This record gives sequence, C-alpha cells and structure tokens, in this order.
Amino acid sequence: MLRRLLLVACATTLGAVAAQAQNTPAPANAQAYIIWPPDGQVINAGKLWVRMGLKNTGVAPAGIDMANTGHHHLLVNTEPPPLDEPIPNDKNHIHFGGGQTEARLIDLPPGEYTLQLMLGDKDHFPHTPPIMSDQITITVAPY
Amino acid sequence: MTKTAVALLLASLLPGSLLLGPAAIAGDTPAPADAYLYIGWPNDGEVINAQRFRVWFGLRHMGVAPAGVEKVNTGHHHLLIDTDLPSDDQPIPNDRNHLHFGGGQTEAMVELAPGTHTLQLVMGDHDHVPHNPPVVSPKITITVR
Repeated sequence: MLRRLLLVACATTLGAVAAQAQNTPAPANAQAYIIWPPDGQVINAGKLWVRMGLKNTGVAPAGIDMANTGHHHLLVNTEPPPLDEPIPNDKNHIHFGGGQTEARLIDLPPGEYTLQLMLGDKDHFPHTPPIMSDQITITVAPY
Repeated sequence: MTKTAVALLLASLLPGSLLLGPAAIAGDTPAPADAYLYIGWPNDGEVINAQRFRVWFGLRHMGVAPAGVEKVNTGHHHLLIDTDLPSDDQPIPNDRNHLHFGGGQTEAMVELAPGTHTLQLVMGDHDHVPHNPPVVSPKITITVR
C-alpha cells in the first residue's frame, strides 16, 4: 500500500514538473549559435574550445528560475532530444549547468563530429519553442 | 557592504594600514584562480565600418548568472567603454560608460560614434561588485568609422 502510494506520488511529481517545464517560454528572437568552431572546421591535436553564443536572452545556472534565461547543452554526435523531457545527461549531451559559455573538449579521437547547442530551462527542459543552434560538422585530424 | 564600511573605518583610524586597505576590502565574492575573461570580438586594433556592432564576451573556467543570483563561480558581465577600471571594492557604476548585463547576456549590440574607443570587460558578483581577485579582460582599442 505504501509502495503504491509512493509510486503515485512520484508519478504525480514527474507529471507536474513536465507540465510546468514544457511551458518555459523562449524569449522572442532568442537564438543559440556556435561562435567557434565554424561548420567544416578541421581541428588539430584533438582538442578545442567551443564558444557558445546566445542572442536576445541570458545565461543562468541550472536551478535558477528567472525569465528569459537558460543554460547551454552541447549535443555531440546526436540529434535533438524530445522536447517534452529533460535533456539527457550523458557523453552526447553535455550540460553546462554552472552557466558556462565555453566548453573544453579534449582527447577527441580523429574523425567527424557533429555539434549543436540546445538551451535548457532551470529543470533542463527545452524552451517553447526550443532554442537551438544549427548543427555543424567538424573533423578532428589525425594526431 | 558592512564589512567594507568597517574596513574603511579601520583604515581611516590606522593611517599606517592605508596601503593594506584595498586588498583587505576588495569584494568578498571569490573568483576561480584560473578564470579568464576576454573580448571575443572585436579584436584589439579592429577598424569597424559600422557604428552599430556586436561585442561578444568570452569567459573560461567560470559561469554566468544574472544579477541577484548568488552562486559560486559565477558572475555577470559589465562592458566598460572609454573608461578605466572602477574601484574593485564597490558596485560597478551603472551609466553609459559601464554597461551592465544583469540578465546574464553574453554578447551585446553596441552603438558608438565614429572615432577611437576602448572596451574592457569586468565581471560583477550578485551585487555588481568585482570578485576577489577581480575578473577583468584585457582592454582593447578599436576605431569606429
């Protein structure tokens, strides 16, 4: 009985969070973009700084509930995740919940990579509509 | 703020300690030792053929948070135009020479008259006071045509 109650409580909580977070409005004209590297860039030595650009909105750390803000997520070799769930947190979805605006990537094996930015709200949900950059492709040269 | 007042009072009571004053009363918010602030664009010496242009703010090893948000290793950007660094123990002034980006913005459209201008970034904490040590970018000089 207690277990069932807990499950119901959990489901209710999750439902509430989803319904709430999905509605975080994106500021008008908000635009995420990758300042550097440019699409097609060849990277040497397997390391780079990705400079994350954001127009017409601000950066706030995860957990901060403030209008017209969000925090960066860098999608690596993956397509954008579902818009009604928190952005996954794994090696293909790198979170910058500390409000960082640059990402250091190191020890990348040679090959092609796609990069894309997606802003998340305080609960890591995409905004409505989502604030995403174009997806770019870079090549890490043999080293 | 209270601490600052006390420190100022102490400094004024002890003339011999005046030289130590600024270090002792700098902002109370610590900054990461390797925090690196720079102007991503324009470059130093850039000649810009437009009076309206975008400045982007570069920050490494530290995060951005809107003004009023107290979170470790974060701050918000201030763009200094044609002015030197303000006092590092008081809130950064808020005027046309000291632009605040308390919304957590990481770039800005700036409009400047033709001529030579200097630009410099400084981070402010949740109360707009520089960190300890202050996180400051190199100062660049640009020409607007």
